[in-house]
Amino acid sequence: MSYYDIDSILTDAQVKLDPSPEKLPCTFELEVPGLGILEGNPGEDIKAGTRIDLPLWLGEMLSIGARLGTSRLVTLDMPDALAERVMNALKADPRTVDLRALAPHFYTLSERILEIFEEEEMVDVLIDTFKKRAAEISDHAHNPRGAVGEGVDFLRGLDETERQLFRAAHDRAKEVRIWAGEAKKK
Amino acid sequence: MAFPLPRGITASEIAFLAEMETVTIVPRQRLEGLELLGGPVEPLIPPRRAALPLWLALLLKRQRRANIMPPPWLHPDSLSLILEVESQHQDYKSAFSPPPPLPGQPSIRDQGLEPTARPQYTLDGNRYYAAPPFLPQNTAQTVVSSRDPPALPYHWVEVGNMLLDVASDDLVDPDQIRRLLKDLREVRMAKMRSGIDVLDDAAIGGGGVALTGVGSMELGEERGFLAGVVDGLRKIGASKEQARREQLAEQRANGGYDGTQDEEEEDYMEF
Repeated sequence: MSYYDIDSILTDAQVKLDPSPEKLPCTFELEVPGLGILEGNPGEDIKAGTRIDLPLWLGEMLSIGARLGTSRLVTLDMPDALAERVMNALKADPRTVDLRALAPHFYTLSERILEIFEEEEMVDVLIDTFKKRAAEISDHAHNPRGAVGEGVDFLRGLDETERQLFRAAHDRAKEVRIWAGEAKKK
Repeated sequence: MAFPLPRGITASEIAFLAEMETVTIVPRQRLEGLELLGGPVEPLIPPRRAALPLWLALLLKRQRRANIMPPPWLHPDSLSLILEVESQHQDYKSAFSPPPPLPGQPSIRDQGLEPTARPQYTLDGNRYYAAPPFLPQNTAQTVVSSRDPPALPYHWVEVGNMLLDVASDDLVDPDQIRRLLKDLREVRMAKMRSGIDVLDDAAIGGGGVALTGVGSMELGEERGFLAGVVDGLRKIGASKEQARREQLAEQRANGGYDGTQDEEEEDYMEF
């Protein structure tokens, strides 16, 4: 993950957009004077026990105290995109889940979340999901007719990482077909 | 994305590299020997066969000054045999048909024999052993060794395609060859993609897909995708890998110092 990686920055920041599902639910454990701006009341204090959805980068920093074992400032919850409900759907059939609707940067988000939480089972579910969907992506990408027909719904539900995979596979296959003279250069 | 080309090399670049391969021609006209950067070309005297780089052979063929002798694997019989091995044989359900043997590598039939590499000599008299891009894998053999089964060389897609393009009248049944090459490519592509299922082992350590015998064009086509999948799996599995390493280091620490502990030490660090 490079410093200027746009997807990494978007994973950090998109959380701030209000309807975004990538927000990180945090509960404040201490009273913080003057931080009410996070809640939308500038100048006020934040009471202990307040629940706010924070951007990933901010929640991550605030939760560091918890990992050091000293006084914790906030406790974190799982974001909606990685809720139990989603995991069950992924276990049932990874191909039918619309990851893009859950979070545009689903995998980058889950990488970051898995750094914070220890979730052995979630890692297994996600790896399995990624593999099954990658195989499907590859099949669609090598379809010379392009993304038409029954594949459209699946391809619309790809998250950003998967879109890059599709693009890599599709562009290369097309390039080789053009070289071999099987397809016309557009 | 400032640079428009994708990572890795493009199809036409791969084809360009394949033009270094040596092929056999039968010249129709005399031609003086040439001093090329890639080595001297012997004088062409019809009807004596000569070994030339593919690009020169294609040039002469286009000018109708020579005929190209197709390599032994570019023959309907060889190709259908390989295709049969690739699609029917039990041992090659998920593996690729083996590449041509390296010099000195004993073939499957005589495994007990001592490997003997035959050295070659440069113009200055220095001894050397030829390595893959410079092996005569695409030359027509005068003595067809019946012991070695036909095998696809590293540049089979490129050489096959270019010969079909330019020298189809020198090949035996070019339409059949074209069909077989297409089938082979599809079978092998499907195998490579079915390998995704075991790729997470490659990301977590140990296991993976054996790509022995895969040609350069096939690698070039799948490189971006496969590398992306492995990278994605590595990132998702990073926390699991971390836990595994910590556990391993703990076991070592409990079992006393065994000399390999130092490299694991850094995994203890947490902030």
